[in-house]
Amino acid sequence: MSDAVAIRADSLVKTFGPVRALDGLSLEVRAGEILGLIGPNGAGKSTFIRAVAGLVSPSDGTVEVLGERPGRAVAGRIGYMTQSAALYEDLSIRENLSFFGRIYGLAGPAARDRGEQLLALLRLTEKVDRPVHELSGGQRQLANLACAMIHEPRLLLLDEPTVGIDPELRRRLWGEFTALRDDGTTILVTTHVMDEADRCDRIAFVADGRVLDVGTARELVARASADSVEDAFLRLRDGGAA
Amino acid sequence: MNVSRTGALALRIVRGFRHDRRTLALVAIVPLIVMVLIGYLVGDDKESLRVGVVGATLDSEFVRAYDRQRGVTVTATFTNEADAVAALRDGDLDGVVLGAGHESCIHPPDGGVVIEGCVPVIVVGGQDVQVESAIAQAWQLASAQLMDQVIPPGGLPNLEIDRIDLPGGERPSTISYAAPAMVTTFAFLFTFMLTSVAFLRERSSGTLERLLASPITKAEILAGYLLGFLPFAAIQATLVLGYAIVILHAKVAGPFWLVVLVLVLLVVGVVNLGIALSFYARNELQVIQFIPLMLLPQVFLGGLFWPVVTLWEPLRAVSVLFPVTHAVHALRAVMLGGQGLADVAPDLLSLVLFAAAMIGLGVLVLRRQRA
Repeated sequence: MSDAVAIRADSLVKTFGPVRALDGLSLEVRAGEILGLIGPNGAGKSTFIRAVAGLVSPSDGTVEVLGERPGRAVAGRIGYMTQSAALYEDLSIRENLSFFGRIYGLAGPAARDRGEQLLALLRLTEKVDRPVHELSGGQRQLANLACAMIHEPRLLLLDEPTVGIDPELRRRLWGEFTALRDDGTTILVTTHVMDEADRCDRIAFVADGRVLDVGTARELVARASADSVEDAFLRLRDGGAA
Repeated sequence: MNVSRTGALALRIVRGFRHDRRTLALVAIVPLIVMVLIGYLVGDDKESLRVGVVGATLDSEFVRAYDRQRGVTVTATFTNEADAVAALRDGDLDGVVLGAGHESCIHPPDGGVVIEGCVPVIVVGGQDVQVESAIAQAWQLASAQLMDQVIPPGGLPNLEIDRIDLPGGERPSTISYAAPAMVTTFAFLFTFMLTSVAFLRERSSGTLERLLASPITKAEILAGYLLGFLPFAAIQATLVLGYAIVILHAKVAGPFWLVVLVLVLLVVGVVNLGIALSFYARNELQVIQFIPLMLLPQVFLGGLFWPVVTLWEPLRAVSVLFPVTHAVHALRAVMLGGQGLADVAPDLLSLVLFAAAMIGLGVLVLRRQRA
């Protein structure tokens, strides 16, 4: 893990009509770490991820990703895994991989080799020619992850990647995330599953569009004088901690 | 624009169709079934001649009397000769009876007096003697009926027959007249339906969000969609045109490439219209509801059934905004009238403007995806 900053958000505000989805959110994500955004539904986690991906324009404040403003200039170095499996249902996994590879400028043998490597890594080789609509929920999520990783991004944005999948597959996915981190990929992951906090290098508690606190799970629990990450979050949110 | 990314998107659409064989079959089979039915219904060409009358209203005595005659139907009335002749040249009519040919020549309240020196005129296209005689005979019979079957002393005045050259030669068969409207309707309907549903899926499945987070540009997305749908629109147009030409003997008097150009311009606009409107639908049921809204006004006002010049003035102004109006007009001019690029240039320009406006709308809609 290096000290360089992969994402820097400063006083980020995003309003949708009367709703302030982000309300002065400030956060730094270090290069090569897994940072988990933890908070309830509607806390602003997905909006922040979308702002980092360049899909949402901030109403106020700034965000910098890999040293640049979010947009096409940096999009080729980011992998974005959406909450639901954003795949073409009529196409096979191989065709989806090939398509997203070409969108990111990968073609020919390089694209094929990278696709095979990912399929083997995610144990999808046997399903590779089956259309996505024939796959189970877990297999779709794996294929979804493969498409987000096809261009070997330096930054991986994962929006609730483990929603609706069984514990065994969840464990495997987190194994993959850790391996990617070890290879130098920065990962920003949102979740509202407190158990997953321990798997992140650092976590940021997010509520009402703001970051309540950032640190390792152990640090956050200690600072809140709590028994668990969940307890620490609730204490912070309800103003129970100093 | 990155050709590889645009090509990848186009190829993705083609691959999607390859896996979705039912849709692919519908694209090809439905138009053919409809063409077979139309060929069966109008193919014998024994229907009435379509006559326009200048200077009279549909409920006037003469028009009602004329309309009762065998073999003719008054399909439109006009206030001036130029509009009527234009409709004749466009293939919307088989003949025109000018104002001097009826009420101003015959005065029924006075027991059927033929005004001296009055020469009724009918205008027909081409040199078809049967058409001329049928329209003229109907005039004679209608006039006689108006005068209580009493032929005035000296008989009815001789008709003057004014023959204008139709660019394509003889009078078109009904199927030749219907073919441009059919191919335009199918090109519009299927392109709009498939594009809007495909793009709605792109949005609802999250793949559009994934694309917008990637290096692909909005222009590349629109171009990719266009290139992806163009082959299917082309296959469909080829099937419909091919069936009309080969089996039903519809005619294509003008250059075929001009027919293709008209259809390509139409499809470019409609692909983008489908993309733009899909943004306003939350599900496929809502997209389906856009289809009659988009298509029916164009079918009724676009000159498919009635000549545009016969429409009520405000409706005529509205129909000018419709791409179908210009596509049908241009295709009839090329296919029936054998006209060339210069003749249909105003229609092509209108289709180019429509396509440009829809591309602009498509880009705007894609921009709005980025909140």
